[in-house]
Amino acid sequence: MPTFISASSIDQRKRLLGISACMTLAFALLFLRLVQLQVLRYDELSAKAQDNYTRDQVIVADRGTIYDRKGRVLATNRPTFDAYLLPRKVSNTRSFVSQISVILELDALDRLELTELINSSGSIRKKRLAEDISKSQVAALEALNARLGGLSIKVRYQRLYPEGEVGAHLVGYLGNPNAKEVRERKLYPNQMVGRYGAERLYDHLLQGQHGVERFVVNVKGKKVNEPWAQAVSERVAYRKPPSRGRDLVLSVDAHVQSILYRALDGYESGSIVLMDPRTGELLGSVSKPSFDPNVWSGRLTKEVKRSIDENPYKPLIDKSVNSFFPGSIYKVVTALAAMEEGVLDPEQPIESPGAYEYGNRVFHCHKLSGHGRVDLNGAMAASADVYFYKLGERLGIDTLARYAQHFGLGERMISMNGESKGVVPTKEYHDQHTKGGFQYGLSLSSAIGQGAVRTSPLQMAVSFSALANHGIVYQPQLLLNTQSANGERLETFKPQIKRRLDANPYHVNMIRKSLERAVNDRRRATGYRAAVPMGKVAGKTGTAQVKTIVRGHHKQREQRWRDRDHAWFAGFAPFESPRLTVIVFLEHGGSGGKDAAPIARRVIEGYHQEIEPIFDTQAQLRLDQYAPQQRGDQGEIELRSF
Amino acid sequence: MFKRPQKLHWILIVCLLLLCSISVYNLEGTTGPHIKDMYLKQLKWLLIASPALVLSSCINLHMLRRLAPVIYITFNSLLLSVLLMGKVVNGSRRWIDLGFFNFQPSEIAKIGLIITLSTWFQRYPKPVYEFYDICLLGMILGLPMSLVFLEPDLGHTLMLMLIAVSMFCIERFHRKSLIGLIIGGVTLSPLVWTFMLKRYQRERILTLIDGKVDTLGAGWHSHQAEISIGTGGILGQGKGMGTQVAGGFLPENHTDFVFAKLSEENGLLGASLILGLYLLTILSILYTAHTARDRFGRHLALGVASMFFWHIMMNIGMVVNLLPVTGVTLPILSYGGTSLVTVFITLGLVIAIHGQRQIFE
Repeated sequence: MPTFISASSIDQRKRLLGISACMTLAFALLFLRLVQLQVLRYDELSAKAQDNYTRDQVIVADRGTIYDRKGRVLATNRPTFDAYLLPRKVSNTRSFVSQISVILELDALDRLELTELINSSGSIRKKRLAEDISKSQVAALEALNARLGGLSIKVRYQRLYPEGEVGAHLVGYLGNPNAKEVRERKLYPNQMVGRYGAERLYDHLLQGQHGVERFVVNVKGKKVNEPWAQAVSERVAYRKPPSRGRDLVLSVDAHVQSILYRALDGYESGSIVLMDPRTGELLGSVSKPSFDPNVWSGRLTKEVKRSIDENPYKPLIDKSVNSFFPGSIYKVVTALAAMEEGVLDPEQPIESPGAYEYGNRVFHCHKLSGHGRVDLNGAMAASADVYFYKLGERLGIDTLARYAQHFGLGERMISMNGESKGVVPTKEYHDQHTKGGFQYGLSLSSAIGQGAVRTSPLQMAVSFSALANHGIVYQPQLLLNTQSANGERLETFKPQIKRRLDANPYHVNMIRKSLERAVNDRRRATGYRAAVPMGKVAGKTGTAQVKTIVRGHHKQREQRWRDRDHAWFAGFAPFESPRLTVIVFLEHGGSGGKDAAPIARRVIEGYHQEIEPIFDTQAQLRLDQYAPQQRGDQGEIELRSF
Repeated sequence: MFKRPQKLHWILIVCLLLLCSISVYNLEGTTGPHIKDMYLKQLKWLLIASPALVLSSCINLHMLRRLAPVIYITFNSLLLSVLLMGKVVNGSRRWIDLGFFNFQPSEIAKIGLIITLSTWFQRYPKPVYEFYDICLLGMILGLPMSLVFLEPDLGHTLMLMLIAVSMFCIERFHRKSLIGLIIGGVTLSPLVWTFMLKRYQRERILTLIDGKVDTLGAGWHSHQAEISIGTGGILGQGKGMGTQVAGGFLPENHTDFVFAKLSEENGLLGASLILGLYLLTILSILYTAHTARDRFGRHLALGVASMFFWHIMMNIGMVVNLLPVTGVTLPILSYGGTSLVTVFITLGLVIAIHGQRQIFE
């Protein structure tokens, strides 16, 4: 036992007690902090830990395939193989370079570059060597990789368009989404989205549902399978398989598309729309010049993009939904409006000279000598402008516009490829858009499809189909049905009727007959070049004057093209029971009769011979046999032989 | 030179054995980046350190007191030599490479400082220490502190200061001088902040003040440690099953952040048990101080207790994200040899004080 205790040592012992108390208090504080973290914040911190050790990997769903109406593939996915170089893993540079240059057919310069790349491997970890290599190349590279290392071969799904540039506008192409789309549509940066055509219009159907795989990773982000990972993965891991996008069956026919595309040979720019007037289904629609969607959906090189951008005929514009001056094909609207309004008796001939003086302006006919006294059939056949000027004068611009709108002109049909609404001018329109406001003379220009009128080939296809099918204005149909990957049908789309023409069937029939005369009238028909030997075609030619407002610095050939008129042919066949509506539009193509009509004839003949016979040739022959007796009795069906 | 302790400090020895067992159990199954089977290595260290414990527990405290000036000069020369020829690890010179093992002179400095100060208080007992004494103490403390600071090792600099200040707590000082010194220190601290601290050190302190500064940079360690402790819950995730440790998200999980690992795997129960053991250890050392025979023994035991205490506070305080990240180890539980040897030597000294308290000359 201590013998003496100094005063200071008593004091120090007291202080030691105080220190013990302070230290105990500090431990209590640490304990409270532990309680806070492990009990109160347990859920929050556990969730954070889970964020650490789980990783969600998106499994991108395959995009649906696009078929034509007969089951031919228009767009599908094709696996392609890309070869990547891993410079750090090459074991023997010389033999690696010499062997790989044989497989990939590299020249001396490439070899040199490759050697340098491998030797200075510090900075580059991975570099793409070749894209879309063949299967034999894949096999050879795999063998090389097994021996010398340094390669990685990755599979990538590339969109394939077997039809190439034929009908490219309709099928469309894909592109990488931009940052905004990634954010708003919850896409993944490497996921392609529809950029044009059906690929874009039906992107929501073609895109599948992405799958997710959640697995346990360590701090390096690597999937691990240690005991702890197995224990937690029982709680957190799951896999949601991706569901493939829907396959689409379009109403177009790939074969028809190639017939249409071939028919445009020799013209720089234009479009053909083929529609089934009985249902409004689009059988084909091509626009020229075209582009190769295979190139556009892949990695686009600058040269390709520049060549497309600099092409004066604008390949990326779908001419079938762009609007242009319709010219004389618009006269069917004028004629129907005039009959409906009671200002025209179709059988009453009207004097149609070569020019018509109205106000202080003279309106010319395309034929300077005029057409004399013609009735509706004659006026339509010869495309007598003055006849329609007079109708336009009697109708006024707003009444005419009302009927045009009835046909669906001036409204969007399919909302695809930047479709233009076109212009159906009214007084109000001219007051707003024309210099000097509305003038009465503009009613006359409108009546023959000039002035400010603009329509698209697709709108015209709908309008002429309405005439062909006795008055039903259809919504153009592109999508027939969707199906699953194993061909099971999911949804079927029915023809959509926009409206029925509020017109006297007799009047519609009069127009149809006049259209038949416009092709088949031996004396006057402007569209006689569209006539086919197998049966009767009805239709109207149009030659729209194009005033070149801007004379820029164009190449001579291009300037000549710009000065030419737009050429149109709009018609249907067979006349008796129409199964095809054909709209041929040639941008600055020349003349409707000389240029567009023969193309229409080629299309109709091609369809009849190569796709399905639309003219009943057997019946034709029988009728020809009995023709002498039947002639005269059958006023409606006139039989002619060429 | 040596004296067998007359009475063994059983509570302390039991606590020590328990903590060592926990340490080995905890390291069992862990494989470090360079070392396989850490627990074997730690066992080896325990075997090396045990003789140090035995020797220091048998040391004659009178002899030790006489040797104090030599000890002071020795550890300061070691600190100086580490500055001149130490091994550079992570940008600071802290280690001396002795071929078969590396050691940190700053660890030795802590024992040396405790012995020196205790001896000084024993040699110059005064009811109230004057300004002159304070200056002298400041110089004794200042030399090793500045040498450690130059390494640079902020954690140990702070540690030396905290141990010394704790030892001062049982003495009386001239009040005005003390207040003057404190005011002077507070006014100088901005200068220390600006000129003497390195950027990463300032960042660490800022990270603590604003916890969300940068969870990927300086705050990463503390952030992950907090998550680790939280996921432990009450019962813990089980040995080797803690996601933070096993997945590698918690860095330094066998050295500085070992407490986070223990809390994650053993939960609040395990962590509290460890805290309790530590508290019991400290209180038993303080009991030794309380019953010590003289000022030397009292100060020495208090110094050891405060070294233990501040190590635990700074380490666990850092792990639970209440204090800035400093490389202060958790006594016994942190993997590593030097710190283990230091701890064993100091505890041996405590056992010696306990055993020699009834011997008078």
